[in-house]
Amino acid sequence: MHGSPIRRTLMQMITLCCGTSLLIAMASFFGYELMSFRQSSVERLQILGRAIATNSTAALAFDNSSDAATVLGALRADPNITAAALYDAQGQIFAIYPANLTRQQLPARPDMQGYRFSHWHLNGFQPVMDGTRQLGTLYVESNLDAMLGRLKMYALTALIVAALSTLAAYLISRRLQRRLLGPIAALADTARAVSDRHDYSVRAQHSGMLEFDLLTDTFNHMLTQIQESAGKLQSQLGRLSLLQHITRATSDRQDMRSIFQVVLSSLEDNLPVDFGCILLHEPATRTLSVYLVGARSHGYATELTLPEGREISIEDQDLSRCLAGELVHEPDVSGLELPFARRFAEVGLLSLVSAPLIVENEVSGVLICARRAAHSFSSGECEFLRQLSEHVALSSHQASLYAALQRAYDDLRQSQMTILQQERLRALGQMASGIAHDINNAISPVSLYTESLLEREPNLSERTRSYLSTIQQAIEDVARTVSRMREFYREREAQLTLEEVDMNRAIRQVLDLTRPRWSDQPQQRGIAIEMHTELAADLPHIMGADNEIRDALTNLVFNAVDAMPEGGTLTLRSYAVEGVDGMKSVTIEVSDTGVGMDEDTRRKCLEPFYTTKGERGTGLGLAMVYGMVQRHSAQMDIESVPGGGTTMRLTFIAAESNLAATARFAMPPAQARPLRILLVDDDPMLIRSLQDTLQEDGHTIVAANGGQAGIDAFKAARQQGERFDAVITDLGMPYVDGRKVAAAIKAMSPGTPVVLLTGWGQRLIAANDTPANIDRVLSKPPRLMDLRAALAELQP
Amino acid sequence: MASLRTLRALLLCVALCGGPTALPAAAPSATEQQVKAVFVFNFSHFVEWPQQAFPSPTSAFIIGVLGGEQVAEQLEVAVRGEHVGQHPLQVRRLQGIGDIGDCHILYIDKVASAQLGDILAALTGRHTLTVSDLDGASQRGVMIQLATDSNRVHLLINVDSARAAGLTISSNLLRPAQIVRAAGAP
Repeated sequence: MHGSPIRRTLMQMITLCCGTSLLIAMASFFGYELMSFRQSSVERLQILGRAIATNSTAALAFDNSSDAATVLGALRADPNITAAALYDAQGQIFAIYPANLTRQQLPARPDMQGYRFSHWHLNGFQPVMDGTRQLGTLYVESNLDAMLGRLKMYALTALIVAALSTLAAYLISRRLQRRLLGPIAALADTARAVSDRHDYSVRAQHSGMLEFDLLTDTFNHMLTQIQESAGKLQSQLGRLSLLQHITRATSDRQDMRSIFQVVLSSLEDNLPVDFGCILLHEPATRTLSVYLVGARSHGYATELTLPEGREISIEDQDLSRCLAGELVHEPDVSGLELPFARRFAEVGLLSLVSAPLIVENEVSGVLICARRAAHSFSSGECEFLRQLSEHVALSSHQASLYAALQRAYDDLRQSQMTILQQERLRALGQMASGIAHDINNAISPVSLYTESLLEREPNLSERTRSYLSTIQQAIEDVARTVSRMREFYREREAQLTLEEVDMNRAIRQVLDLTRPRWSDQPQQRGIAIEMHTELAADLPHIMGADNEIRDALTNLVFNAVDAMPEGGTLTLRSYAVEGVDGMKSVTIEVSDTGVGMDEDTRRKCLEPFYTTKGERGTGLGLAMVYGMVQRHSAQMDIESVPGGGTTMRLTFIAAESNLAATARFAMPPAQARPLRILLVDDDPMLIRSLQDTLQEDGHTIVAANGGQAGIDAFKAARQQGERFDAVITDLGMPYVDGRKVAAAIKAMSPGTPVVLLTGWGQRLIAANDTPANIDRVLSKPPRLMDLRAALAELQP
Repeated sequence: MASLRTLRALLLCVALCGGPTALPAAAPSATEQQVKAVFVFNFSHFVEWPQQAFPSPTSAFIIGVLGGEQVAEQLEVAVRGEHVGQHPLQVRRLQGIGDIGDCHILYIDKVASAQLGDILAALTGRHTLTVSDLDGASQRGVMIQLATDSNRVHLLINVDSARAAGLTISSNLLRPAQIVRAAGAP
């Protein structure tokens, strides 16, 4: 420690103070001494003078100068008396002391009475009185040697005293300094230790001196405050880094649950808290429920009866305050009456903080944190939780936005896929429609002639009749297949026409139709498929479209056969089930012992274009089955075990009665009287076949090739006064189609019935959507029976 | 030198008595008489008389002169207006021995020396200071003898006589004086 100014200054101050006071004391002492000495000198000389004067009266009175000299000689006793003289009444020198003194060394004449100092001498004149008479004057002169000697003595003493005092002051000041500077140095050492080591836990020691102890206390208090501040800063930094950690962790996550998991586990590990959970608020329904409980908080959650998913009353004052957007801090819940807080108090969680998760001015949830010890959440931690809740709310909000975005994106993609697929289907449907139209046109003559033959040729052999019947059946199936193909591809608009179907019959038909697939072809490959049928005897009919049901069953049989490449057992089963409500239903099962389906395949198998058969499959089979099931309001169950076979189960609602339908079918067709009919079509083969068959019924047929030709023929006939009883026109014709023909004819003759023949007829019928100006729509291939019925009905 | 000093003393007396009247043209003899007169006057200040010497507190202090007209004259000049205490000074020229009883100071000139024995006898028991310039007077019982020696006047004092008369002589007076013992005294 180098020379400290405070020490030198202190010493200088003390020495200066001592010296000054000493000097003042001495100066006043000297002054007093001088004064008193002067005074006493004067008094002494006065007394002496008075004595001498008294003794000199006789000498002067009786003019005895020798006696006067003797009297003056008495002054010898005082060595300081340097001169004396007696003057007589006339002022002449009468006697001199000492004798060797010359008169020139004395005042020539007596001066003013009294004593005075001059030139280091004290002298004075004293009258010699006899009563009131002045006999003469005495002059006395004294040197000040005695005074000087005394002053010298005093000066020497003062010097010694001053030296000793200064020495004493120096020693005392040193001692005082040590006492004064010691605590300061100790304080400075403490301060240096604090600043060097940044250790704010050291404390300065008391020195026992009041002011220094005050200073030390203040210093220590300051240190305590710094220590507290540093501690607070440290914990603040810790919380800040925790906040950052949580924020970073949550920013990596996109779903709300994992964000909350990260938040809760971070709080449990690092803040730490003894219990943490997230409540979600549903403003629409005004409910609050436990969304997530921290990983370590499940024990408390059970005790608190706050498991995940539990709904909580938001009437609770704490929570309602929190839901108003306020952070609620209960430092000690033990004395509170609020139900939510009391729940925590009962399990020993005494400190409770509820932080609202606010998103866009809405409280979306509440972060609950609790600790066992009361008053254990500092204001810094509450602030931290408030900030954290803001971050968390934002993150979860972002996550939910992200999820919504993802959903919207998925929906969009799904829509796009659907649109693409629909577009594809639409194109396919259009193509199929064209094909169906052509096929219908093409098979129309076959159908008409076959029907006509069966009806009108009495000489047909039994075999011919049988063949013709089969042809007719096949034609009808083709027509239906074609129409169904179109049905499949276009959007569902219409209810299908339902009729009573005998399921057992349909199954048998399917077995006949599919025999080649499950019997002949496998045998050729050297494998055996065993066919079992378990058909319930008195199975109720159902309401449905039997061709669709047959097709569906056919598809199921094909799939079953395909599922058993190594052979196996195919079982067709039918049975009736009566439900609890008395509703009867009919169930058909198609079971195989094939490869079965895994979960993924089972889930996707109903989707269109999904196939496991590679190039051989279209992916439409089960999709068509499912479409049929839906159209029939039926149910479809799939049981499948990979390697253990598959069972397809279709359940239909049973029809209530099967008598009405039978009666309708038994009704004989009405016969029309011979009519004059205009037949308009662009297909010569169809014209000829229709013409042939209708003429055989006795009608007169005028055929027109094409729409315009038909209108012209009708116009020409009217001008000639001929009239047609009915017009049969094709729908699809180049340039002028059937609708225009109908419109033209109705314009000319509203009373003339118009029958429209169309390759799309099935659809029009099903839709019960008879276009304007058309009285009846018949589908191709036209059945003679239908034509007859229509004409009979429409004839004027 | 001596005459000068005498003159000075005379002048002092004149100054003290305060009057130009004290300054007549003085003959040398007269000067001696003057000095003696001043001395006699001065004695009144160096001797203390008992109370009973005065009939009343304000009664006159009487200086009697027996013979010696010149001294009497000088004395009258010297004491004019003077007091001893509250007693006014008064000079009496005495013609005979019968008048001496009331005097406080009695100056006996040489001319009356023949009667000295009688005078002293007459003054026995009286408080009278006797002064004389007669040679050997002090030995004969006169209290103060004024002896002239080389123009200076000396004092010879018979202390015993003074004490016998109840008078107290100031030590100041005794110091410059020569003390004389009465003949026959121890």
